[in-house]
Amino acid sequence: MTAVTFRKATLNDLDRLVDLLIRQKRLNEEFDPLLRLREDIAEIGRKYLEEAIKSENSLVVVAEADGRVVGFLKADIKERLFYYPKTEGNIVELYLLPEYRRKGNGVKLLEYAVNILKERAEIITAEFPSLNEIATRFYTNLNFRAIISTYARETIIKK
Amino acid sequence: MGVELEKSGKDAVRVAPYYAGKYEIVPKIPIKSLRDFAVWYTPGVASVSKAIVESPKLSFEYTSRWNTIAVVTDGTRVLGLGDIGPEAAMPVMEGKAVIFKYLGGVDAIPICLNAREPEKFIEIVKSLEPSFGGINLEDIESPKCFRILDTLRESMQIPVWHDDQLGTASATLAGLINALKIVGKKMGDVRITLLGAGASNVATARILEKAGADPGKLILVDSRGILHAERDDMDELMLKNPWKYELALKTNRERITGGIAEALEGADVLIAASKPGPGVVKKEWIRKMNSDAIVFALANPVPEIWPWDAREAGARIVATGRSDFPNQVNNSLIFPSVFRGALDVKATTITDEMMIRASQALAEYVPEHKLSEDYIIPTMDDWRVYIHVAASVAEQASKQGMARTPLDYDEAYVKAVRIIARARSILERLMEDKFIKPFPEG
Repeated sequence: MTAVTFRKATLNDLDRLVDLLIRQKRLNEEFDPLLRLREDIAEIGRKYLEEAIKSENSLVVVAEADGRVVGFLKADIKERLFYYPKTEGNIVELYLLPEYRRKGNGVKLLEYAVNILKERAEIITAEFPSLNEIATRFYTNLNFRAIISTYARETIIKK
Repeated sequence: MGVELEKSGKDAVRVAPYYAGKYEIVPKIPIKSLRDFAVWYTPGVASVSKAIVESPKLSFEYTSRWNTIAVVTDGTRVLGLGDIGPEAAMPVMEGKAVIFKYLGGVDAIPICLNAREPEKFIEIVKSLEPSFGGINLEDIESPKCFRILDTLRESMQIPVWHDDQLGTASATLAGLINALKIVGKKMGDVRITLLGAGASNVATARILEKAGADPGKLILVDSRGILHAERDDMDELMLKNPWKYELALKTNRERITGGIAEALEGADVLIAASKPGPGVVKKEWIRKMNSDAIVFALANPVPEIWPWDAREAGARIVATGRSDFPNQVNNSLIFPSVFRGALDVKATTITDEMMIRASQALAEYVPEHKLSEDYIIPTMDDWRVYIHVAASVAEQASKQGMARTPLDYDEAYVKAVRIIARARSILERLMEDKFIKPFPEG
């Protein structure tokens, strides 16, 4: 298998990125019934990624093998209003196709992004579904720890 | 066939209450009076127990354990009936137990568990170990069956076998070895399409790779089409069926997509273990296979494609699961002898190599000069085939250091003959003396 390389995403990657984004969200859906996919996810996803690629305050990087995009990461640069450190690089999407997993590519993808983010962010955070044990393991192994939790319930409680 | 099926069904339900079960336990020690129990039971037996405490291995010498296995199910995928529960699975397990005795001389105890949770099932089966020389798992739904088998195989010190996976895979491999001989193709070169990705074909794919097939040239097709590393349900498979997921990653190197038709284009071999036909596999799809195509259509009671249709569409060799057609790929050719061989050396496990050896032994039992398009696998009628396979398995176990009491082929052969012949003569005598009542005509 050829080596995986990393670069910033361009608008030409959009079709492929939408596919990978949907795969990632579908995986989340497997973990938690409160993460049911919307029917218009393809449309919404495209807009979301397009804006991120164009935005100064977002970073989208792709992993490439054999000239094909096989994974991606999206992060947002944010200001933390009440706390130090003040600048945050918030990773919100990270996905690699199955064949490229368990080979260290995920870590490399993350390190590549962090390297860019660190110019503007003093702290790196990652957001993922609590029940996604794969993500939990991945970030924990890289010395991340939980600092804020999002708890959810539906407004009407089903008995 | 329909009429025959109906007849056997009617007979079975008619005689079920007449015989009220298919087996019973009969002592094999002389008992002339209650005084004899001073030896068979307390106080004498305490010395036997003490000896086993000293040397636990003796439980294989001093008790029936050496020849007794458990046939265990949770009743979640019984025959073609599906999830019918443990009580309804019992007549099937009794039948299986009797085949074990008749063909392999193995004492098999049916155990139907009220344990649908894999963890609970695993825990219970593990606890059975001291009473048995082996475990035959049966009729457990996929993908749960994969985890149960893998976990038990790793953690138990006696052979664990799941017949729906390993038995069928082994018999299929045997048939394929001979079919390839006839068409003059090599295992490592052929493209093999597997239709159906349930218990048996997942096991078949795994064993084909171990037996020398090129995993990149295996194409698996399930109800969602051709399996490949980028299919959009891969993440779901990773979580729910990691065995299929692993196969998706290493099979189908060319990344063929589509359905059965696309999977058969340019294939040398089709192994179908999907759903009853006819018409599941179409003639025009077989036509797209390479010349000298080999077609195994294993669904029961009706194969995915009728053998004559497959032949007409260009298949050179056709096998099915049916006894009324040539080339019956039947796990009954495998499981009695695999256990016979494993028990005869008091094996600690059944390795993949033992399983492959069983397939090779079954294949080589068909002499070269008799090998033909219509005779690639022995029939069940010749009982010496079981002896040969059993002895080969016993020998392989001994070579691999998996035998508590290693035997070479000849020793194992003699032992297996004695045990199987004894089981058959006891049965004959019981029928002669009418302890087993004649089959009532209805």
